Amino acid sequence: MAGWSAPETLPRPTLIPLGDSAVVVRFGTVLTDSANRAAIALADTLTLAPIAGVIEVMPNLISLLLRYDPRTASAATILGEVRLRMASLSATGGTGRRWSLAVTFDGADLESAAAALGMTRAAFIAAHNSVPLRVLATGFAPGFVYCGLHRDELALPRRSAVRPAVPPGSVLFAAGQTAITATEIPTGWHVIGRTEFRNFDPQGEVPTRLSAGDMIDFAVAP
Amino acid sequence: MSAVVTMVRVGPLTTIQDEGRFGMLRHGISASGPMDRAAFVAAGQWAGAGRGGLECTRAGLDLRLESGNCLVGFAGGDFVVRHNGAPQEWPGAVRLAPGDSLAVTPGRWGNYGYLRFGGDIAAMPVLGSIATNSRAGLGGLDGRALRAGDAIAIEGESRTPMPPLAAEKAEGPIRVTWGLHADLFPAGLRQQFLTGHFVVSSRLDRMGVQLEDKERVFADAALLSLASDAIMPGDVQILGDGTPIVLMCDHQPTGGYPRIATVITADLDRFAQLRPGSDLTFAAVTVEHAQQLLRRGTG
Repeated sequence: MAGWSAPETLPRPTLIPLGDSAVVVRFGTVLTDSANRAAIALADTLTLAPIAGVIEVMPNLISLLLRYDPRTASAATILGEVRLRMASLSATGGTGRRWSLAVTFDGADLESAAAALGMTRAAFIAAHNSVPLRVLATGFAPGFVYCGLHRDELALPRRSAVRPAVPPGSVLFAAGQTAITATEIPTGWHVIGRTEFRNFDPQGEVPTRLSAGDMIDFAVAP
Repeated sequence: MSAVVTMVRVGPLTTIQDEGRFGMLRHGISASGPMDRAAFVAAGQWAGAGRGGLECTRAGLDLRLESGNCLVGFAGGDFVVRHNGAPQEWPGAVRLAPGDSLAVTPGRWGNYGYLRFGGDIAAMPVLGSIATNSRAGLGGLDGRALRAGDAIAIEGESRTPMPPLAAEKAEGPIRVTWGLHADLFPAGLRQQFLTGHFVVSSRLDRMGVQLEDKERVFADAALLSLASDAIMPGDVQILGDGTPIVLMCDHQPTGGYPRIATVITADLDRFAQLRPGSDLTFAAVTVEHAQQLLRRGTG
């Protein structure tokens, strides 16, 4: 979805309790650019203007998790505060930082992924790197990031088989997204390359560097 | 006070835990912490414990006090505990002197027992916590389960032990609130989820507990794959083949399988202690009711 335009209005949120100690604010049922932007914008707003009683905010692909202690905060109050903040929310801003990431495109699935899209390897790499991608979400695994959204011509389903383990720094591709691993994980995505960039340091005060909303320019590693 | 204990025999997946590593979900790290929180607290009250404790699994463990002396409190499920061979009450506490042994062996029920010491466990905090996260390999001793031969130092002052009142063992259905994706399940299937009998399978660990769906409630539940969304402990997710899994403390922070329900906080300890082969049913309650139970402290 290169060159997305700022939506005038944000999708309407649905507020859903997740157990007795959290609520999810969801901006749709499928991953869209506007739902993702809304989730990130609300997360940014709640970082700047926290809701009393909310002890953790986690933005996801199309939603936001708010964790609270039901012994000291009420869901009704939190939901009311979310609605108030939604009223003044704008997804046009963007506090995201800009990153440049060098990727060695030599993944085991690079050739087959390019072929499946009817592209040469070189054309695929060029198309992949042609526009910056937004960090859509974090949190699936330590330091793991989903980036996107690619334009429709680059949409490719996951592989049917799961690789039991890919190493940290693997660059993965599927479902209109590029993902970067920071720990060893199993994956059903196409492995298209690797990067030296490591987005997880448990000894750091803040263990990851990339945040949802950051923009990444992908480049071919020298 | 300071003391050193050595692990002599260690059952699988025995870990160091504290209250948990909260606030790290966006970095991809779930909170971990004790599978039975109330029992962890109770063991701490028996010992006047400071930071951290040991979570053992059904097989139990044997340890020896190498040096110093130290009060050790224990609670959680039902285990047999012997101090230098002499049986002790579980839950309870004993004072260990150098050379003393403590042996914890399986009892009548429960999966998790807790040993806590009068003082702090000397482990390097990672992101503010010493809890072992088995998924991410963080905390505890080098992010791993304990092994025979591991030495654990106890340091700092103990607090005044305050033996807790005996907790009543709750019975009855495991209570849930409807889940994040309950609306995707047809009403008939939701009803069957509440009337069906499930069995705790032998596939359980700190990440999740797989259930046997004997009545094949979810066998034909063809559900779409979803945009991945936040997970909380207690979430009941249904895999593509219909297998229900209840996600626990070391859960992955986000996931794309549909979740029909979430076990309420007040019943999650009890659920964690259900051994493989245990029958269970679920009962739906409102979020408000689940929260009232927590406020009353009946959780």
